[in-house]
Amino acid sequence: MKKYFKLVVLMLILVSFILAISPAQQQITLRIIWWGSQDRHNRTLKVIDLFQKKYPNIKIVSEYTGWSEYYTKLTTMAAGGNLPDIMQQDHAYIRGWVEKGLLLPLDDLVAQGVINLKDVSKSIVDSGRLGGKLYAINLGNNSQAFAIDPELFRKAGVPLPPTLWTWDDFKRIARIIHRKLGIYGAAENLGDHNVFRVWTIENGGYLFSEDGKSLGYEDDNVYASFYKMLLELQDEGVIPSRDVEVARGSVSPEQRFLCLGKAAMQFTWSNQLTAMSTALKGKPLKLYMLPTLNGKVGNFLKPSMFFAINAKTKYPKEAAMFINFFINDIEAAKILMAERGVPVSKRVQLALKPLLTPVEKEMFNFIATVEKYGAPTPPPDPERWQEIYNNVYTPLYDQIMYKKITPEEAAKKFREQVTQILRK
Amino acid sequence: MKKLTKKKKHDIWMGYLFTSPWILGFLFFIVFPLVTSLYLSFTRYDILSAPRWIGLQNWVRMFTQDPRFWNATKATFKYVIFEVPLRLLFAFIVALIFSQRESKILNLYRAIYYIPSLIGGSVAIAVVWRQIWGYPDGIVNAILSILGLRGINWLGDTRTAIWTLILLAVWQFGSPMLIFLAALKQVPTELYEAATIDGANFWGRLFKITIPMVTPVILFNLINQMIHAFMAFTQSYIITQGGPLDSTLFYAVYMYRKAFNDFEMGYASALAWFMLALVGIFTVIIFKTSNRWVYYEAEEGV
Repeated sequence: MKKYFKLVVLMLILVSFILAISPAQQQITLRIIWWGSQDRHNRTLKVIDLFQKKYPNIKIVSEYTGWSEYYTKLTTMAAGGNLPDIMQQDHAYIRGWVEKGLLLPLDDLVAQGVINLKDVSKSIVDSGRLGGKLYAINLGNNSQAFAIDPELFRKAGVPLPPTLWTWDDFKRIARIIHRKLGIYGAAENLGDHNVFRVWTIENGGYLFSEDGKSLGYEDDNVYASFYKMLLELQDEGVIPSRDVEVARGSVSPEQRFLCLGKAAMQFTWSNQLTAMSTALKGKPLKLYMLPTLNGKVGNFLKPSMFFAINAKTKYPKEAAMFINFFINDIEAAKILMAERGVPVSKRVQLALKPLLTPVEKEMFNFIATVEKYGAPTPPPDPERWQEIYNNVYTPLYDQIMYKKITPEEAAKKFREQVTQILRK
Repeated sequence: MKKLTKKKKHDIWMGYLFTSPWILGFLFFIVFPLVTSLYLSFTRYDILSAPRWIGLQNWVRMFTQDPRFWNATKATFKYVIFEVPLRLLFAFIVALIFSQRESKILNLYRAIYYIPSLIGGSVAIAVVWRQIWGYPDGIVNAILSILGLRGINWLGDTRTAIWTLILLAVWQFGSPMLIFLAALKQVPTELYEAATIDGANFWGRLFKITIPMVTPVILFNLINQMIHAFMAFTQSYIITQGGPLDSTLFYAVYMYRKAFNDFEMGYASALAWFMLALVGIFTVIIFKTSNRWVYYEAEEGV
């Protein structure tokens, strides 16, 4: 009997060993990286916790930074061969990453149902498609906007403009506010390339051509007229002068002039409304599409950011499971809300509707407005866009506003230098 | 040559063994990157795909097609030309004051004056500097408005922005000051005593004794600080971000941006080598002129 007992104990121990190392219990570690504000970090980390609770065998290691150094970090990681399994990616960069074979095509994982895109409209899914293959999953929709402070409008005695307002309306309102309240009519960075992109669409073109090999507008007056408008407003003191903006450097949404009560209108991305409204202690702000030109709307929906998977990941399925959880799980969505833009899944949108704060409701309605009136999303940027932005777009913008060069001269130089870079 | 004895051979090998940590470090962390970057300066390299040989294209582009390269060179020269002499002058004056007398409290002051050098290069100070020179509500402009003067957009004006950076750097005069102080204490007191007996006043002693005696240290500080100034980075990167209109675009910042924002590693390597050559040339020039103004006691002599 004693002998048998020993044997049984031994067997039990053996069995428990086998169970312990069986694949079902195997620990998997995934790495993920994103950029964003502290608010985004907090929300994302909470969702990761939730995911780990649901799948205890998957551990997720997070890395996160601000936007400005994000791609420096990611590119260095790529060079060192230690890219995280899941990466947040931006629309402007994705072409280069796909061309270098760094991202995993996701079509198979979608076909197998690991990533469920049934509730996502085709145009949104396709924003992550390049050369016919799906490389990235859109996490939210965004659009260019003017955030306005209705209280300041009331104080200045200006009625709120209609949805489809014009640039003339904009200038008129900005001037009245400046005159009556002594603050800026509209705040900093009106010459942001995103405003200029909208302007090119309103003029019947794009910033870049379809094939990404040249500028997407013919007439240099498109460029010149845009900056003439800015110069005019700057000289009248209706918008901050460029040297004030340059001296302040890049500011976070919370430090913008609108949030400091020094301006009544502010160019922004729609998903930043939450941050701006928080900075104003929940003051209700309203979102407007950028003004129209000759009846044409230039606003468009832009994928705010993507998740993509490292082409060399050891665990494509688990990485895809996380992305699926991120875009489809209702509990996760309740944590994330619209911080990365309006969620892409229709089902998630419906589930969130009753929970929205007034600010988030404004954002949802705004995206619906853009969906209704907006222009189609322009083709993705050429791979060298960043170089153009740093070395051509911004320096010329500064030179015009500092009056070292006229808008007409700058328009010509812009075309010359951009073409030169794109031909390389 | 005589054959080495077994013992000698053994000693040589032991010597190499004991210096190997340094030799290996030197090879891997200095020689290898140096050679690599020289090679990369003749290539187009975006980190993600393999470097592609393009011969002298980077160099040609640098000198003929890149106006920002010239902006960066100009801004850096302006910075070096004003910052280095001002910092040395300041360091020398403070060291001179400290060297006049010896007391406990002076040691404390010396430590306090050294603090800016410890923290001055940090990001935190750069951020504070932004606030100080801010417009329209920075500290300097607040003082101006109390005095009834109009505010100046220090960081946004091409004429003033670089001066705020120069001022910040001059404020960090601690290390040259300490070196000057040590040198000043080395000057033999007999010389001063003799001069005083001959009726020399303070200025006479300063220009005829003190300064000639410390010229070797001035040379050392000058070269050291010049190399430092050429490589200045943080101030421009954080405070002015190279602006306005590239007036504070330091060479190192431009190089960094080319490498890590535009991902043009090849071009950035070429920029780096040009900088190395520039610094080398200036160092040689200073050394060549030094025998006209640097006084070594040992040379004249017995």
